[in-house]
Parts: sequence; C-alpha cells; structure tokens
Amino acid sequence: MRELSFSKALREAIQLAMRRDPNVFVLGEDVGISGGFGGGFTVTLGLSDEFGHARIMDTPISEIAIVGAAVGAAMMGMRPIAEMQYGDFVFCAMDQVINQAAKMCYMSNGQVSVPLVLRLPVGATTRGAQHAQSTEAYFMHTPGLKVVCPSNPYDAKGLLLSAVWDNNPVIFLEHKLLYGAGGGRKEKTSLDLYTHVPEQEYTLPLGSVAVKRAGTDVTILANMLMVHRALQAAQELASMGIDAGVIDVRCLAPLDIETLADSARKTHRVMIVEEDNQSGGWGAEVAARLTEMCFDDLDAPVLRVAAPDTPVPCAPALEKLYVPDVPRILQAARQLCQSSRENDLD
Amino acid sequence: MISEIIIPKLGATGGDVTLDEWLVPIGAFVNAGAPIATLTTDKATVELEAFRGGYLRAILARPGDTVPIATPIALLADSSDEPLGEYAARAITNLKETTTLLTANTDAVESQISNQKSAIENRKPQPPPQAPIASSSIAPLLQLPFLLALFRSMSLIRRFEDTLYQLFLQGLVPGTLHQYQGQEAVAVGVSAALNKDDVIFSTHRPVGHLLAKGSSARGVAAEIWGKAAGCAGGKGGQMHLCDITIGAPPSNAIVGANIPIATGAALAFQLRGEPRVAVSYFGDGATNIGAFHEGINLAAVKNAPVLFVCENNGYAASTHISLTSRVPDLAVRAEAYGIPGVIVDGMDVLAVYDAAQQAVSRARRGDGPTLLECKTYRYMGHSRGDPGGYRTQHELAEWRARDPIERLRLLLVAQHNVSPDTLTAIEIETQAQVDDAVAFAQAAPEPEPSLLETHIYA
Repeated sequence: MRELSFSKALREAIQLAMRRDPNVFVLGEDVGISGGFGGGFTVTLGLSDEFGHARIMDTPISEIAIVGAAVGAAMMGMRPIAEMQYGDFVFCAMDQVINQAAKMCYMSNGQVSVPLVLRLPVGATTRGAQHAQSTEAYFMHTPGLKVVCPSNPYDAKGLLLSAVWDNNPVIFLEHKLLYGAGGGRKEKTSLDLYTHVPEQEYTLPLGSVAVKRAGTDVTILANMLMVHRALQAAQELASMGIDAGVIDVRCLAPLDIETLADSARKTHRVMIVEEDNQSGGWGAEVAARLTEMCFDDLDAPVLRVAAPDTPVPCAPALEKLYVPDVPRILQAARQLCQSSRENDLD
Repeated sequence: MISEIIIPKLGATGGDVTLDEWLVPIGAFVNAGAPIATLTTDKATVELEAFRGGYLRAILARPGDTVPIATPIALLADSSDEPLGEYAARAITNLKETTTLLTANTDAVESQISNQKSAIENRKPQPPPQAPIASSSIAPLLQLPFLLALFRSMSLIRRFEDTLYQLFLQGLVPGTLHQYQGQEAVAVGVSAALNKDDVIFSTHRPVGHLLAKGSSARGVAAEIWGKAAGCAGGKGGQMHLCDITIGAPPSNAIVGANIPIATGAALAFQLRGEPRVAVSYFGDGATNIGAFHEGINLAAVKNAPVLFVCENNGYAASTHISLTSRVPDLAVRAEAYGIPGVIVDGMDVLAVYDAAQQAVSRARRGDGPTLLECKTYRYMGHSRGDPGGYRTQHELAEWRARDPIERLRLLLVAQHNVSPDTLTAIEIETQAQVDDAVAFAQAAPEPEPSLLETHIYA
C-alpha cells in the first residue's frame, strides 16, 4: 500500500483535478516560481512544470486580489484553488471572503455560484502571533461558506477533491504540523504522518465527520492536529479504565451534528479539543448545539479544552502552554468522567 | 449676453405689481421656463418664469418693492460672472441684500458651506471646458440609429431614476436609493462598446449600468421593491442588482471590491482563450481603497482583458476628491501600474463611447487593461436623504448645463436633422416603459417566506 504525506496527498489532489478539468487553476504567492518552493508549504511544488505558469499562477503579495480574482474567476465558471501563504494572511482579504465569496450566490438568488477553494495553512509553529492562528471559527460563522479541516493525508486528498468539485466557496484549513516531509520545508515539531493514499481520484463527502475510535465513557471531538493528540490521550485513558471515543470533526460547515449527538447520547459525556481560542470557537457552537439536542442524555456539561484567549505566543515554552497537549486532554477527561460519576451517585 | 427679465402685463387692469419673493439665489443657473420669483397683482399671485436658460446674474428689485409693468427686474447671463455693463450701478448682486430670500438659518448654512468650499477651492479640479454639444472625433462616423439608441438608453435611465426619486419622496420606495442622474453617458457609452457576453461589475449605484447593458426595467424595479420577480428575486435589493443573462453578476456595495473580482473574471476569459472583456465600474472614492491597488496591479501584470471605469463624480459620499487625493486626475494612477490611463469627458456619451471602444479593443486583442477616468457628476445626493448640502447650487448648475442627454439632443437636432419631436417621442416611450416597470414592481407579489433560506449554497 502506497503511503503519502499530507502535503503530497494535497499536491496529488490538485494535480488530478487539473488534469481532469481545464477550469481548475491555482493562484497564490510563490506557488509556481521555477526554482521556488511551491507555495508556503510545498503543496504546489513542481506543478508549474506540468501545467505551466498560467494555471499555476504566481501573484503579487496581494491577498485581496488573490481572493477577489478567485471570486471573479469562479463566477465565470472556473474552479480556482487559491492559497494564502499563511492562514493568518486571510484577514487582509476578509471582505472578499465574507462579503463577496460567501454572499454572491444568495445575493444573486442563485444566478451565480462561487466554486473556489481557499487553502489556509494554520496552527502554532513557533513563528509568533501572525503566522499561527487557527481561524476556522470566523468562517464557520459565515453562511455561504463550507469549512474543511482534515487531520490526515487520506482525508486531505479526498476532501480537497470534493472541495474543488463543490460549487461553493470552501475554506480548506491545513495544519502546518501535519504536512510532513516535503521539499525541505518540514516543520521541526511536525508529526511524521504518512497514511495510505490511493493513487486514483476519490472524494469524501463535505459535511462528514469521521469516527476514529469508538468509546463508551466519553466522546472526544477534535480536528486537525488535535485529533492526533486526542487519539493518544484516548489510548492512555484506556489504560486508566476510561473508554474514550474520538470523532474527527473534519468538516465544520456543513456540520454533521447528528453523528456527534448520537455519540453524545451513547457516552453521556462530551469533550471538545481545539487549537482555536476558546471564546467563540467552533467548540462553543458544537457544545451549544449538543446541549440543545441532548441535554437530558448528558451527565455533565460539555467540556472544552481549547487555546486560552490570548494571541499565539512565540516562545516555545509559552506556545506549549497555549496549544492543548495530551496531559491537558487527559486531565480534563479524567475530571469530566470523575465528576459525572460522582454525580451519578447523588 | 445679459438679458433682462421684464415684468409682463398681468391681467386686464395692467396696474403695478408687487415683488413677493425671489425663488432662486443670485448666481444660480436656471432652466428656461423655471420660476424665479413670485409676484402679486391686484387679482392674484403668479410666478415669474425665466424666458431662457442662464445664470441669475443680478436682481433689480427687492422683495416688497412695487414695480411697474414692462420694467426689468432681473438679469440673466451666460456665466455667473459676466460683466453687468450699463446695469452695474443699480444691480443687486449680493445675496445679503435680499433679506427674505434667505432666512437667517439658511444664511448660516450657506456661509458654513462657503467656508468649507473656499478651504478646498484652491485644490479642486476644474471641470473640463464646457462643450455645449456632444462631440468626439468619431461623431461623424456614427450612424443615426446608433445615436438614437444612445439617446434612448440615457433617457430610459434618466426617466427611471427621476421617477423613482418622485416615488421615494412620497414614501413609496422601500429601502435605499443611490441614483445615477447626470452620469448616464458613462454607463451608456461604455455599454455601447461591449458585446452581450462581456461582463460588468457594478456598484452601489447600479441602475444605469444594468439598464444600459440591457437588463429589463421591470426586473430592476421589482428588485428595488424587494419583490420575487426582481432581477435577483428580491434578495439583492437596490445595491445588489444582478442579471446574469446580460452579463451582470451582483453589483457590489463594498467600495472597490469589484476591482479584483473583475480582474478574476478577465483572467478566466484569458485562461479559456475567450475573446471576452470584464468591466469594473467604480467611483472616485474607490481609488483610495486597497482593492483598487491590488486588483489593478494584478490585472496589469497578467495583462488581463479588463476595463477599469472610474466615474469621477467629485465626491465620495460628501467628501470632495480634493480632500482625499493629491492628484486631481485619477487616471494618472494608471502610470504606476504600467497601463494606459485615459481621461474623458464623462458628460459626453460619444467621448465615453470612443474611449471605451479603444480600451475594449485593446483588452480584446490581448494588450491588457486600461484605466478610464470619466469626469462626471451626480445630480442627486449620495443616497436617500442626502440633500447634498456640501455642494453649491452654482456647481450643480454648471454641471447640469453640460447635461449628457441635452448635449446629445443638440447634436441630433443640429447635425442629423432629427426633429425635436422625434426625441420627445422617445422620451415619452421611455417614460411609459418606466411607468410600466413601476406598476409591475408595485403589483408583484412579495417573496415567499421559504425563499429566506434558498440559495445560501449553490
């Protein structure tokens, strides 16, 4: 079985989509320069050799123009894949994302659609506050956008292909510590993550979540890097007699809340692990909805393990405190299971 | 030329009349037939009309004065500072002397405005030289049916906007209004240079752009009334008109945002090898937003087939362009992007057409974008409820004297032997078209509640 890294899986998805449909093209900073590095994290490395510089389109440092041009091209029937070199840079182009990409279909009463993909490398990697934020909550809040945040190479390829063929603007978050080795841009603290990735085209449904591990005592919801930390924690919890299930919330919009609620009803306890700031994060929305849907089935309030409400600090020692890690997840899970068991006895 | 306005013989008695009130401030432009004063005879109060268009240069009587018939009472001139000659000694040219003309309150407002005006006067770009007739080097080449179509299109926009304004004042138009009167030559001249499958990206002031490109007046009106039959199903509204059948994606109410979007549409045409062109319309205010820079620069470096049409009407809402730009001609900014910047008289539909045609040809043959600055003026306020107190009547009158529709009318009558009645007939037809559209819009059903949640996603 062939295994690929996350970045190579993404590259293969783009390559296959571009071979299939001449309307697919890439635009962004440093994405196709010959002798360059294939975008911020090598995802498009080498693609301009096959597709040329018109379809792997290098742009000025102009985030408004990158997203705006993607919106205009998409409305004219293209399927642009736009890259922000770092996810934080999307804030330069927020008008184009929120007022333009997300609202065009609605404002036109369906006369136009905006089938674009906006790729955002996210996650804290000792670069400081402006190259580190996890930005999914901003987009989950916006009607008209789809939000995808995969955790592994197999999902990355299948979800990216779905995103390209979807007729809506899709915000596609990629955690920098998941990219893996590729083009000499491997992050120091990166996971060494390879999974089986079929060579052919395949798609995974947008709006789906993935049950990574079944459990009976607590449901842990996580995305991107946090899925891996949750799984590691679940393993350790098992040795402590706590059977934790883990669900990869790989799509935040649309959100498969039913699958999450089913699990919540089964385990009666829910914990959310997110690298996003806690206030107004995606976990807050999920917690609220689960509380509305299955309050009577829950033995304890939904618990969030999230980044604190601070900008991302740069110092490695502080960043380690900022990003939820396995010990924090363990502690929170034990506390959640402990307290609700005590309540059961009351 | 100075012309006297003379007290006419009123009624059978032929006695003296009393001047009640001046209706127009000194220095203002008045159209032929416009009332300029009220007079009282022993029988009735009547309005005195200007027998020709011109500037109310001076008055020769104050309110309350009794004036004999057949005596001059006011002087009309061809400019606001034309020498008064033999009348200089007795003419009243100072507003302050006409006590009932301006109340203390409006006096204060006027003086406030004039203070602001004088602060910016030195840097304010002067309007281009007055050309009383539509003119362009290509004018002799244009055929009469084409010229009449331009006239009809501008007339439709003017009738539409004027009618909506009247209805708005009666409280009959829901939502907001951003009106296009005065700028018709831009939309009509540019549209005349486009093909049906070329695409326009409009603004918060979109009525002219869409009508000129061929959208139906009914669809536009129904959209403004928020009806399901509107061109965007009522979900867009006045600022987001959309009609993809004529190449108009949603018009954009974020200033400048359509500039990179038009660039993207043009890149799509370029990538697919289609001979289509994208147009981005925006105002002078948009030249100061980041999207202007990023969008035009990207188009320039990619040689994208796009036409950037800056409708410089002098004001970003209430702020004059001289307060926000050190260059009076915004087209010069094109040089910084290495593309042509062209200045054109935006009150002359033939000049706009000519310039747009050249820029569109250039884009279509792969030579890249052009920034086309159209010097124009909006007659109305920025939006509903804006009486335009930051502008003088004088300035407005100067621009109205260069009205694009009247200039084309002059050309058609003087050089193409078109009867004025023919043009009036066109205006009657466009008014009927507008009346039909408004009646359609008002009678159309409201959107079903279920439509609230449709088309959030494609």
